[in-house]
Amino acid sequence: MSLDLLIYAVGAVASLMSVVAVYLALVERDLVKAVIYSAIQSVFYSLLFYLFMSPDIVLVYLPVAGGVLPALLLVLISKTERFERE
Amino acid sequence: MVGFLAEYMFTVIYLSLFVNLGLSLFGLFYKPHYVKKLIMLGVLGDTLNMFAIFLGYRAWPSPTTPSRPPILLTYPFENASVLVEFTSRAVDPLPQALVLTAVVIGLAVMVFLIFLGDNLFKHYGTLDMREIRRLRG
Repeated sequence: MSLDLLIYAVGAVASLMSVVAVYLALVERDLVKAVIYSAIQSVFYSLLFYLFMSPDIVLVYLPVAGGVLPALLLVLISKTERFERE
Repeated sequence: MVGFLAEYMFTVIYLSLFVNLGLSLFGLFYKPHYVKKLIMLGVLGDTLNMFAIFLGYRAWPSPTTPSRPPILLTYPFENASVLVEFTSRAVDPLPQALVLTAVVIGLAVMVFLIFLGDNLFKHYGTLDMREIRRLRG
């Protein structure tokens, strides 16, 4: 069992979970939950960035896409409307 | 067997990124709500950044080599073999610099679009794009 294979296995699981998170963010009607799903997706993406040998991007991407952008989108939702109509 | 499994899992990662790209494009074009469009625009940008990182990625020279970060510890190199090993292990830094810039620029663009959404709600009283199209007449 080489370390190479372990890296690819963790990456495959993380990317499949990110597909699930993107799909849930797409079909969710409650926009607060959709923002939280997209934050989960960005956490899996930062794991992929780390596995593919770019830890410097993780240091920037994780605070931006996992912290600042969902917070600003939540501010926009709180100032406007929360539910997406059919 | 190990090589086949590694190639299979790398293909899984690559294909799931393409699925993410398709889902985010669908959400960007066909979802009517403005905030949902913003979320899907963010996912689209992140997926394109991930493709740029994959361009610069290089696997380890042999699968059995334990992976360790290529760090140069002693600056005056005693011989050229240190540099040869470094260049055989290091990934391409140019896409990483590009993505690092693109993440920050994406944050700035997203803040501008959030401000625009706030003004849109002040003008029309809704963020549903079909409703806004009807109100514009």
